[in-house]
Amino acid sequence: MRRVLPVVMLLCLFGNSAHAGLKAIGKGDQMQLDPAAFPNKMKERYLLMKFKCAKCHTLERTVVALQTGIAPISGQPFDRDATRAYGIKMMRKSGANMNKQEIKEIIELLNFLLDEAAK
Amino acid sequence: MQNRLYISFVLVVVLALPLVIPRNALAIPSFTRQYKTECTTCHTIYPELNEFGDAFLKNSYVMPSQKKAEAVAKSGGKGQTQPQQSGKSEAFWLSGIPEVLPVSLTASFDLKYEKDAVNNDKTDFSTRSINLLSGGTFRDKAGFFATYALYSQGTYDPNDRFSPNTPGNNGNRLGELFVSWRHPLDIPVNIKVGRLVPKLTLWKPKNDIITTPVMAPIAYKVGSSQFTEGSTVDALEANAILGNRVFMAGGVVDRDGQNEKEGYGHLSVKIGGTDLLGREPEIDFDRDSIWDYLSVTIGSYCYFGRNASLIGEVADKSNNFYRAGADLDILYKQIRIKASGVLGKDNNPFFFPTAASLRSKALAAEAEFYATSNIIGAFRYEYEDGGMGIVRRLIPAISYAPLENTKLVLSYKHEETPEDINRIALLGLTVSF
Repeated sequence: MRRVLPVVMLLCLFGNSAHAGLKAIGKGDQMQLDPAAFPNKMKERYLLMKFKCAKCHTLERTVVALQTGIAPISGQPFDRDATRAYGIKMMRKSGANMNKQEIKEIIELLNFLLDEAAK
Repeated sequence: MQNRLYISFVLVVVLALPLVIPRNALAIPSFTRQYKTECTTCHTIYPELNEFGDAFLKNSYVMPSQKKAEAVAKSGGKGQTQPQQSGKSEAFWLSGIPEVLPVSLTASFDLKYEKDAVNNDKTDFSTRSINLLSGGTFRDKAGFFATYALYSQGTYDPNDRFSPNTPGNNGNRLGELFVSWRHPLDIPVNIKVGRLVPKLTLWKPKNDIITTPVMAPIAYKVGSSQFTEGSTVDALEANAILGNRVFMAGGVVDRDGQNEKEGYGHLSVKIGGTDLLGREPEIDFDRDSIWDYLSVTIGSYCYFGRNASLIGEVADKSNNFYRAGADLDILYKQIRIKASGVLGKDNNPFFFPTAASLRSKALAAEAEFYATSNIIGAFRYEYEDGGMGIVRRLIPAISYAPLENTKLVLSYKHEETPEDINRIALLGLTVSF
């Protein structure tokens, strides 16, 4: 039992990242994605998302939604319909300071990340 | 000279507060605790609701479009996945008890300057009030909401040497206390019962960024009648969302001291923007349209009532009255326009032995500009004719939220009444936690 327990604990530690197809770095409020392997266009969009979205909320919320497929607050599925709905919501939110083109690019990034997470 | 010192002091306070208030404080009220989401999910600056907040309110404090929880509830609580998936305790879920004690507090302080103050207290700093608020749901089948004034500043009596060195309490007072049964027997209607503000206008009376006063059509009184559209009443209300964009409400009110009941109805339509179920509009990302950002809500309502002077808790002289109003709420990008008008008739508002009727009307228009996510400028114009003379008000205000739970409002009220002109500057600080 004493030998099995550390092995189980180690497996638990790796469990989350093994389940998710996306590599997250950092924990809690500091959690974000590692864009090193993204195509160049998506790297630019990731920077845009990081700059714009993280003004109001942590990236942890987005990363958790992408990894689990569930939006952490509403508990609703986080799929392509949801990325579009959230994008429109943020575009229309007062003070969000994001234009239509930026929102379009971030939705495309989120859809790309959803595909990556599913791999 | 004194005025300059005062203005300098106010400016220093306004500018310095963001520096002394910690940016990472997490002191936020009960809905935030329950849903683990920030205040701006539902509010522009607390307590003004945004489109999603309005849908949340109309959905009896359940997150709009929350289908999974309802599915579990329909299965009689046998579905075990919901509490586990959401990280909630199954015991709490099955018991229907909110996992987090749904209580929060709101404290307000203000600094008022009135040049022509009757009591000669031109500059008055006040620890104004502390209110207890509670709201939540019982396993998404019912919502509840309550407000209770723990303290509101009363009068200071310098001649009473046994009184404390500060004004006393104006008295504890129950504001709202109601339960809303969501979709009983799967009928898409909510039944609200308890002490509540009847659904008449588009906006809840105090849900405005301007701290005081409440908009004239909601607040005005006629004669000796206590009735205002924003008052709480003991009522039973049914409301429903039709076709995602139409909201209907109707209710029956019981007023003490008389057997007759009062009634009201509300109908509103929202065009464009987030629908009343909290769903975002369809937008074509390759084509620009005015409806990408525009939403228009039109509402109308009526209230038929009867109040009376009481002698030994028995109705004496009665006053039959009605109010009929219409509202408009337009949101486009960073600009929001609210307009409201109401007509009324009271057949004996002074409870005279021989009835003497009065007609009344009140109008208000407010423009808001969302400069950033935490700064809103507003300008309101009001016209009020309660049958005894016309009152006009001009109220510019600026609201700043250094934290989502902390709000500073600087407003100025220029009020012209038949008797005189009142000019009041007010700096209000509100903290909710």
